[in-house]
Amino acid sequence: MVEIEIDGQLVNAEPGEMLIAVTDREGITVPRFCYHKKLSISASCRMCLVDVEGAPKPQPACSTPIADGMKIHTQNERAKASQKAVMEFLLINHPLDCPICDQGGECELQDVAVEYGSDVSRFSEGKRLVAPSDIGPLIQTDMTRCIHCTRCVRFGSEIAGIMEMGGTGRGEDLKIEPFLAEGITSELSGNMIDVCPVGALTSKPFRYELRSWQMNAVESIARHDLTGSNLYAQTYKGKVKRVVSGDNDNINETWISDRDRFSYEGLAHEDRLLYPQIKVEGQWKEVEWSVALDYAVKGLKNNILNSRNAQKLGGLASATATTEELYLMQKMLRELGCENLDYRLNVKNLDKTIHLPSNIKLAKLEQVDYALVVGANLRLEQPMINHRLCKAQLAGAVMNALSVKEFDFNYPVGNTIVSPNQIASTLAGVLKHVLEAKNQEIPEYLSTLTPSSEATDLANALLNSEQAVIILGEHVLNNTQANSIANLITEIAKHSNSKTLNVSATANALGAQRVSFTPNSTGMNVNDMLNAEMSAFLLLDVIPEYDFHHVDSALAALSKEDVFVVSLNSFGNELVSQYADVILPMAAMYETSGTHINIDHKLQSFSAAVSAPGEAKPAWKILKVLADLLELPGFHYESSAQVLSEVAHQSEVDHEYDSSINLDEATPAIETIWMHSPYQTDELLRHASSLQASKIGQMNAASMSQATADVLSLKSGDRYLGVPVDITDTTADQCVFVSSNQATNMGGLS
Amino acid sequence: MISNKAKKQIDAWVAKYPEGRQSSAVMEALKIVQAENNNQLTHDNIQAVADYLDMPGIAAAEVATFYENYNHQPMGKHVIRFCHNISCMLNGADDLIAHLETKLGVKTGEVSKDGLVSVKKVECLGACVGAPMFQIGDQYYENLTIEKIDEIVDGLK
Repeated sequence: MVEIEIDGQLVNAEPGEMLIAVTDREGITVPRFCYHKKLSISASCRMCLVDVEGAPKPQPACSTPIADGMKIHTQNERAKASQKAVMEFLLINHPLDCPICDQGGECELQDVAVEYGSDVSRFSEGKRLVAPSDIGPLIQTDMTRCIHCTRCVRFGSEIAGIMEMGGTGRGEDLKIEPFLAEGITSELSGNMIDVCPVGALTSKPFRYELRSWQMNAVESIARHDLTGSNLYAQTYKGKVKRVVSGDNDNINETWISDRDRFSYEGLAHEDRLLYPQIKVEGQWKEVEWSVALDYAVKGLKNNILNSRNAQKLGGLASATATTEELYLMQKMLRELGCENLDYRLNVKNLDKTIHLPSNIKLAKLEQVDYALVVGANLRLEQPMINHRLCKAQLAGAVMNALSVKEFDFNYPVGNTIVSPNQIASTLAGVLKHVLEAKNQEIPEYLSTLTPSSEATDLANALLNSEQAVIILGEHVLNNTQANSIANLITEIAKHSNSKTLNVSATANALGAQRVSFTPNSTGMNVNDMLNAEMSAFLLLDVIPEYDFHHVDSALAALSKEDVFVVSLNSFGNELVSQYADVILPMAAMYETSGTHINIDHKLQSFSAAVSAPGEAKPAWKILKVLADLLELPGFHYESSAQVLSEVAHQSEVDHEYDSSINLDEATPAIETIWMHSPYQTDELLRHASSLQASKIGQMNAASMSQATADVLSLKSGDRYLGVPVDITDTTADQCVFVSSNQATNMGGLS
Repeated sequence: MISNKAKKQIDAWVAKYPEGRQSSAVMEALKIVQAENNNQLTHDNIQAVADYLDMPGIAAAEVATFYENYNHQPMGKHVIRFCHNISCMLNGADDLIAHLETKLGVKTGEVSKDGLVSVKKVECLGACVGAPMFQIGDQYYENLTIEKIDEIVDGLK
C-alpha cells in the first residue's frame, strides 16, 4: 500500500494498479470510453486524461500505474481542458443522431458530452460516413456512430475467445468490422452491445422499440443453463422488451450468453397459451379457470382417486421448472399417494444414471491448470462455464477433450476422439495409469486392461497438474455405460486429487434433485411409467417431441384412450393438444417468481418481471389451487417465497446410487447421440425468433465418419433421421452425432 | 491457396520469431502471398495467410488494410508507388504523378489497359534526399524528371 493524493485527498492504493481503478473505488469521476474493468487496457480514447504532478503532459488514468507519493488532479484546469479537447475530437465524426439512436439515454458518449462537451461545434467540415454491415440477427450496427474504443474487439479476443471484430483501414478510414461475411458467430456476442459505449452496436430485436428510460429494470436470473446468470429484464407496459446483463463476480461476472439475452423474444410469440382449455368430446374449448380446474380435478378423481389408484398416476416435469413448482408438484403427488414422478425425460436408461458431484465453484474454475472435458460441447451447452475455462486457458491451463466428436472450442484443446463404447475404457485406462503412478492397488476390473496411449497421455496430464478438473457433459447421458463413466471419473478424481463438475443435466436439474423430483424405490421413473398401464398424467411444461428420449412410447402412453392428461404449458403444441384433456396456461420465464439452483448449489430467487399474458398464471399458483381443490392438506401458500422456505427446511435426501464400474457391457454397433441445438433446449428458446435465425440456431447436421456412413449406406446430401448427413473425419466411428434444431425424430431413436 | 514455394518463404520468416509467435511474420507473409497473386490480396488470400499462421482472419485483415503496400484491388504487373509526401510534393511530385497518369491513361489506383502498370500514391518512403521519387518492386528511383520517368516506364516489360 502506498499513499497518493487525488484532488487534494489522501488515498491508499496498491503500487502498480491503474489510477482509474483507484478513482473508481474512491468514487471520483473520471470520464472514459475505452476502459472497461473486465477488458485489457487500450488507452486509445484518451478521454480519461488527468493531470499528474511532475508529468510533462496529461496522463490517461486507465494506463497510469500508481507510484508512491503521486499527486493527481482530475478536476483542475489542465485536466478539464484535456478532457474537453478529447471530447471535441470524439464528436467531430459522431453523427449526433441521438433522437433516433437506441443508445440514447443510456449512452456513455451522451453522458460524458453533457459534462465535457462544448455547446457549439467548431467543426464545419463534412462528417465521415461508414456503411453499415449486417453482422447477424442479434446485433444491429451503426458504425458511423463508432468512436473506435475497441471494446468490442477486445471483448472478442479476450472474453469470447474468438477475435471477430477488428479495426481495418487507418486514420480517418479506420472502421470496426468483422472479417467474415457470415458476421458474428460467438455464443456471447450480445455482450458487445453492453460494452459498446455508444450506439454503434445495439440490440437488433430491440431496434426502434422504445427509449431506454421508458423501461423498468427488474433483477432476474437466467434459467436456461446451470449458471443462473444474473440479469435485468427491462419491461414496459407489462412486457419484457430487452434483457441486459447484471453483475455477479461469483457467477457470470458481467457477461451473459446470447441465449440468456435474447430468449425473452419468445414471450410475445403468437403460440402463447392465453386461456385454459378443456377437451370435450374431442373438441377443444376455451373456458374459465374454475371450469378447467374442476374438469381437471374431476378427471383425476374419476380415473385415479375414486378407485384409490394413485399408483396409476404419473407426474412429469421439465427441468426448466422453478424449484418451487417442482416442490409443489412432488408434494401434491406424494400427498395423493403417488410416487411416480420424474424430470429426467431425456434419459434413455434410468437404471444407469450418472452420479457425479460438482465440487468446484464457478469462480474457481478459472484457476484450474488442467481440464478434461468428457462428452460436452461446452461452448454451446454451458457458455459461462466454458468462459471460465477460456480464462483459465488464457492464463496457461492445458485443456483436453474426450469425446466422440471434435468440437469448436474457443481455445486450444487437445482432442481424444473415441467411439461411444470406448469412452469408459479410455477412462478406465486413465484410472489404471493414475493408480499405477500412485502405487495404489489395481482393482479387479482393471486387471486385464492395457491403457491406450491416449489414456496414458490424459493420465499424465492429470498427474502433472496441481488443480485439475474433470467435466462430464450431456453427450454421455445416454451412453450405455453412463454410470460406469461417471464412477470412473469419481475414482480418477479421487486418486489424482482433481475436482469434478457434472454438467450432464442442465437448467434447474439441481433444483429438481433438491426437492427429490424422482421416485423412491416404490415408485416408477419416467421410462417405467411410459411402459406401464397408467390412468392419468400431470405434466409440467412437457413438450413430447423435444423432451422425451423415447418419443414414440411417450406419445403412445399419453395418447391412450382411457388416460386422463392434465398438461401445464406456456405455448401451444400440436402433440400436446392430441393427448391432453386439460391444458392449463402457465407463466413462462420472467412471468413467475421462483428459484433456480445453479451448479454452485446457490439458490437464486427471482420475482416476476411482468405478469403472464391473457389468463395464464404462474405454475406454482396453478399447482397450489389444484392441490386445494383436491382437498390436500398443507397447501396454504401465499407466495412462492413461502414454498421456498419450506424447501429450505427440508433436509437434502442423499440418494443411493450404484457405484459399480462395468467395462464389459454390450454396446450398440452404431450409437446415435441426439443433441438439440442450444437454442432448442426449452420452450421459450424454441419461440425466440432472432436466436433461431442466428448461425448457432440454424445448426442441423448428423455428423458421422466415412466408415459409419458406409455401414448405414449414406452419402453426403442424404438425410439421417431427417437431418442432413455430414461425413467428417472429426467424428469417431460407430456413432452418429446429431446437432439439430429439429425436434427429435420419432421412431428414430431406440 | 498458398503455393509451396511461398510457404517455404513464409516458414523462413516464422523461424525468426520465438515458437508460438508465428503470427509476427504476418507482414512478410502477406507480402509474399501478394507477390504471387498479381500484386493483389483478396479476402481469401488474407484468410489463407491467417490460417497458415494460426491467427484470426480479422487480425491479418487489420494489418493488410493498415499498410499501403498491400493492394486490395487488381494491380498491374508493375506497381509504381509514387511518394507524394512533403519533400516529394515540394519538389513537384504532383505534376509528375499527373504526367504519369496522362502517359498511362489511368488514374492512380487503376491498372493500365495492357495490364502492365498501375500507379499508387504513397506516403513517405524515407528517401527525401532524392525527392521526388517512386518505387517499383524493390527498386527506388530518385530525382525524377518527366524524361527520366518516360525512360523508366517505357523500359517496363
